[in-house]
Amino acid sequence: MATEKDLGNSACSSYEAVLEDYIGGTLGAADARIAEEHWQNCASCRDAVERAVASVRMLRLAGPSEGPGPAFARTVMARIRSGEQDRMIERAGFWQPLVRLGWQFAAAATIVLCMLVSYDAGWGRRTQPDVTTARLNGVSDLFAPDPAKAPANRDEVLMMVAETSHAK
Amino acid sequence: MVASAPALTLPLDRAGKKAEDRELVRLSQDGNESAFEELVRRHQQRVFALVGGILRRPEDLEDVAQQVFLKAYLGIRRFDQRAAFSTWLYKIAVNECWDYLRKKKVRPLVYEADLSEEQVSRLDGIVSADRPPESASARAETRQVLERMLSALPEQDRQLLVLKEMEGFSVQELADILNLNVNTVKVRLFRARGRIMDVYRRRIASGGKTAGSQSAPRKG
Repeated sequence: MATEKDLGNSACSSYEAVLEDYIGGTLGAADARIAEEHWQNCASCRDAVERAVASVRMLRLAGPSEGPGPAFARTVMARIRSGEQDRMIERAGFWQPLVRLGWQFAAAATIVLCMLVSYDAGWGRRTQPDVTTARLNGVSDLFAPDPAKAPANRDEVLMMVAETSHAK
Repeated sequence: MVASAPALTLPLDRAGKKAEDRELVRLSQDGNESAFEELVRRHQQRVFALVGGILRRPEDLEDVAQQVFLKAYLGIRRFDQRAAFSTWLYKIAVNECWDYLRKKKVRPLVYEADLSEEQVSRLDGIVSADRPPESASARAETRQVLERMLSALPEQDRQLLVLKEMEGFSVQELADILNLNVNTVKVRLFRARGRIMDVYRRRIASGGKTAGSQSAPRKG
């Protein structure tokens, strides 16, 4: 038996785990009998078991440590909720520039669209000849020169040429 | 014949509690905050015990414990329930303790292992009586004296004994939490028991020493 001794402990090293089970009460009946038979013939193991049992008794005298106060769970949940809010703000902060850019683009597009519509509806129409109205008024050819300004005879043609030349 | 140690009173309906935990975890994964709060209530005592057993820094205990549950909440959707929720949670707690100690660059609070003559005689009386002190203050004092004595052991021995004998963790739980083989935990526990009794007997034999103040945290 002495050959199996460990320097830090006096029990046989091959029995240490078994003896730990024994004092913990988790060893089966058959194995417990084998362990008991062993230490009846091994003073070192008997001494080690006695010390181990004494240590269990001594350490359990202290009892478990005091737990947290009754508000602990609530505090944890409050921290979790505030952390969730922080994360949501952080997530929103990450996308914020893109959202702002999107809104700016939408506003610009709306302004451009309004301008196009107003041009089409009013201002544009005023600058262009109204074919339908002209037709109703009996104008045959919109692209023909204004009959009021057209020279009526040869003299008027010459006068117009002279005026033009004079103007230059 | 050696008398066997008194068994810890374990909850009889452990399987039922695990099933309830599974359901609460499932609900929490669906975003039910009340279910998670219930999980906090169920496990806060043991998380406190575990964190306290490792850190031994009461002033930071609550903060670290809160951080453990925050991390659990953030990671619960990824938890696949292959292990028990408690095991998963305790592993988070152990990692959080090491992270905390690394960030703060301190080691667990160290007590002077020597006890005063008065403390030794009081402890001897309590051990001889083999009955826990009745008043809360006496229990707290006994615990403090025992913790001082445990400080004489290597850190891992101390942690194993505190978590197993004072806080009631099982060998299997300790193996899972500390990533150790079950047999390794048993052997280390058994050897640690021998060592703590050696320390105790030496203190009794010498009648204790006068040094008994709590030391400052050592910078790492």
